[in-house]
Amino acid sequence: MASEWTVLLAVLAPVAIGLVTLFLPRNWIEPRTLLATLGPAIAFALLLAVAIDNRDALQAQHNHAEAQAAAHGNHDETHDDHAGDDHAKPHADEHHASSDTADPPLSAVAHPPSHPPTTGTIEWMPSLNINLAFLTDGLGLFFGLLVSGIGTLIMLYARGYFGRAGPTSADDLYRFYPTLGFFITAMLGVVLADYTILTLLFWEMTSISSFLLIGWDRYDKKAVKLAMQAFFTTGLGGMGLFGGVLVFGNATGGIVEGGIWRWSQMLAHSDALIHQLQHVGDHPQLLWAFVLMFIGAGTKSAQFPFHYWLPGAMAAPTPVSAFLHSATMVKAGVFLVGRLFPVFAALELFPLVIIPLGAVTMLYGGIVALQQHDLKRIFAFTTVSQLGLLMAMYGIGAYSYHGHAAIDYDVTQIANHAFYKAPLFIAAGAIGHVLSRDITKLNGAFHKHPAICGTMMAAALGLAALPGTISFQAKELFLYGAYHAASEHPLVWIVLGMTVITAVCNVAICVRVWTTLLGLPGGMREEHGEPDHGHGSGGHHEHAHEHGLLANLIWLPGALIVSLQFVGGIFPSLAWSNLLGLFEQPATAHNYFATEYGGIPNLGKIAASVTHPGVPLICSLIAIVLGVIVGLAKPLRGSIGDFADRIYPAMYWLAVTGGGRCFRLVQTGNLKHYLLFVLGALLLGFGWAVQADLTSDNPGMLAVFSGEAADNLFEYWPGILLGLIVCLTAILIPLTEVRIVRVLFLGACGFAVVGLYLVYQAPDLALTQLMFEIISVILFVIVLRLLPREKLVAVTLSNKLWRVATAVAVGGLVGWMTLIAATTDRSQTNPGAQPLGHTLAQHSYGNKEGLDTALGDPDAPEKRGGGGNNIVNVILVDFRGFDTLGEITVLGIAAMGVWSMLPHRRRRVDGKIINDPHTDKGVAL
Amino acid sequence: MSSLILRNAMGLIFPLTMVFAIYMALKGHNAPGGGFIGGLIAAVAMVMVRLSHGKDAMARLMPFHPRLLIAGGLALAGLTGVVPMLFDLPMLTTRAPYLSNPFGEPIHMPTALFFDLGVLLVVVGVAAGMIFRLGEEVDEG
Repeated sequence: MASEWTVLLAVLAPVAIGLVTLFLPRNWIEPRTLLATLGPAIAFALLLAVAIDNRDALQAQHNHAEAQAAAHGNHDETHDDHAGDDHAKPHADEHHASSDTADPPLSAVAHPPSHPPTTGTIEWMPSLNINLAFLTDGLGLFFGLLVSGIGTLIMLYARGYFGRAGPTSADDLYRFYPTLGFFITAMLGVVLADYTILTLLFWEMTSISSFLLIGWDRYDKKAVKLAMQAFFTTGLGGMGLFGGVLVFGNATGGIVEGGIWRWSQMLAHSDALIHQLQHVGDHPQLLWAFVLMFIGAGTKSAQFPFHYWLPGAMAAPTPVSAFLHSATMVKAGVFLVGRLFPVFAALELFPLVIIPLGAVTMLYGGIVALQQHDLKRIFAFTTVSQLGLLMAMYGIGAYSYHGHAAIDYDVTQIANHAFYKAPLFIAAGAIGHVLSRDITKLNGAFHKHPAICGTMMAAALGLAALPGTISFQAKELFLYGAYHAASEHPLVWIVLGMTVITAVCNVAICVRVWTTLLGLPGGMREEHGEPDHGHGSGGHHEHAHEHGLLANLIWLPGALIVSLQFVGGIFPSLAWSNLLGLFEQPATAHNYFATEYGGIPNLGKIAASVTHPGVPLICSLIAIVLGVIVGLAKPLRGSIGDFADRIYPAMYWLAVTGGGRCFRLVQTGNLKHYLLFVLGALLLGFGWAVQADLTSDNPGMLAVFSGEAADNLFEYWPGILLGLIVCLTAILIPLTEVRIVRVLFLGACGFAVVGLYLVYQAPDLALTQLMFEIISVILFVIVLRLLPREKLVAVTLSNKLWRVATAVAVGGLVGWMTLIAATTDRSQTNPGAQPLGHTLAQHSYGNKEGLDTALGDPDAPEKRGGGGNNIVNVILVDFRGFDTLGEITVLGIAAMGVWSMLPHRRRRVDGKIINDPHTDKGVAL
Repeated sequence: MSSLILRNAMGLIFPLTMVFAIYMALKGHNAPGGGFIGGLIAAVAMVMVRLSHGKDAMARLMPFHPRLLIAGGLALAGLTGVVPMLFDLPMLTTRAPYLSNPFGEPIHMPTALFFDLGVLLVVVGVAAGMIFRLGEEVDEG
């Protein structure tokens, strides 16, 4: 199988080369374009090599299996060999077609390969189950080739779109290529990553790059807002995916040690997983994993009711719309569902969730698209519609094959959409440049710009799914699948009906495009007095029209892509057996189209079936006839908005306003309130621990000491006296009003503590405390001088007592907590545990066995805990060293705060403000 | 606040205090002391010079911004933490070798000492830096 380094190189090439283009001089536009195109081209070439390599390997395995079967002369064993020998897939098509019609393939259906074609692993964060490994199965490779292939053409188109004449075009291209390279890398990562969390990382990167590209025009507030909308929506879904991946990994610990964190593991253990999913009542976590992951897929792929962000995303430059928001990124959700399909289709909920959502999205998008006038918005809503169809396709796949999950030609469906939608956008952007994007203003545009309009009209044929395009076959396949599923699940008839209505809408749009652009009667015309509803109608980048060879880059990539529609449509066997068939999921080894419809659908087959028309073909004919009528009908041409455009503003308002209310409730701005919150939380949190200690029968050191102290009061009097001073000064602080007096009391309290340390023979602590008190008193005095003169307000006695009570309660709590920590004998509840002091001593200068042996042994320092005799210091620098590192960082930040809140004074000299000459040279004194 | 007695005494007190601060930091691992207390002592000494001699004298004594001390200290402490990772040891692992000393008993030389010196630098930088900056505000009214 492919080397992980090859795939990694393919994934990283676009962003790496995109960054390299930054080093070219700004006005080198053509070299920049060529260099940037190299990135996705390299990725495409490498992935193609991997695909061919995989095919050859499969061929070899297949031949091997056949030879073995011949040797055994046993048909059944051949069958088992195929299952065990894994992906003997697309080539098994013809081979199995004959045998499987005989015995209903109940057992062999939907068995993904037991050894999915993964690459090796490059270790990254093994403890978090994040490593670099790639799954180069058909679905992933197909998406990879789609992304890098269309990406290459989009790089060229960007040159045509941004042009070189505009004032900002050099700057636009300068920023555009690295950003688009970043997106291509992210998208390749999503589709090729084998580790689930790696997929998530790349998934979020696509959201970020989409955000950057939608808000491309930084000075257009509306575009920025729409970018935020898209980012929040897909980011929300990303959180769902994150949760789903984590839940899935944790829930599958019973199947694989440590849980399933790789897609290939999921496919390899599909039998066990499918069994659990069929009895999901016992494994509710798997259900949640699916629901959460589907939230990710649904938001990314703009499923109702989260579809609103996709039409909004059309604020992006057209190369972005053609690439991210129609051909590739929005299909990430579809991809994810396709990835989950072989396993999760066994879930009863799978079709019940996906079919209704997908069908509603499909119908809704189709109907709203019919009501738009802005070309980009029309195509945006048909994209929403098509994404709904793709989702519904997977849902129906779960029903379609005698109750077993099987998906027919899903890759064909996805490729088909990319092959007509990207050219539609490319042509829409091009025509927006030279004329307008409002379809009512484009009457007869074909005669002015035949190349651009020709591309659009050809692509519109794909949108309408007319015969001779891949689209036609794809729609037939979908209708066929729905028809079959409907025979077992009658509710799917509704989906079939919705598909026909959507197809009517698509045909109507195609008819409008043709009649309008050619200037035929029945085309769209500008009607006077009609309000302009188009959101973002009119391009954001107005550029002068270019002439010359390079100017053709504005339509040529689109024409190239759309030609695939017709090549595949007219010569289907070429497309399937040599191209798309290689990538279809293994489950389709037993596709019923091949078995029951008699092989790959081609023109001959379809012509033959006209004499015995099947339901799918009748549906298509109805759609085409009705579509032409609807397309020509005048009353249905109004321009309406989309009510779902209000979902995001409402959510945004709720978040901002509600958040603001809560913020003002909690953040009063009064230091006293904050302190009260903090201390109150402390009391509540730790009060129960003190309570538990008081009620326990553990005497603790306090009881021992107090008994001893009562006997020998005279010996303890220095400590007791100092302790009383500490308490007295502490209580005096809240009782006094003048700041400076309080500071002095605080200092007295601290110095009394120094005395306590000295009495109990801790000279280093005493010294530390002494130095600390000096510095803090000096700091306090200085700060107090800087504060505005205080207003002496008479504080009521009850207020003072309230303060004292709080202080005493908190002080008592902290003191008692210290005693508990130091004296509790944990060995009662936890055998082998020691008092805290003993543990600290052992970690500092004891060895692993105990305190006594290695103390002070200079010959064996390694055997000792921290290697030092000063417990306090060893705690600080050694076994709690990480805390210290954090603390000194906090100290540094505090000092930075002082310096930044007290900026160096600027002196006013001769009416001009100049920097203080003393402080300017960087001396703070 | 510049009394003649303090001013003259500081000439003697300041160097001694600085030496004492470094001594405290170096012996800290096995005896009372450590980087934190060493830093506090050094900071107090510097504050005393600032009080007795004024800010220009302090500027001559320390001709750079105190934030350099903080940055240097954090870098030193961070490096001490990271270096063991290069040898596949956990972060902040300490080795405590005894360096041979021809004039007496072996010297206890833990690698944590560098960490401690980092703490010292940060503490000096923060304490002295804050007081100097705030004192400047007071001076300028």
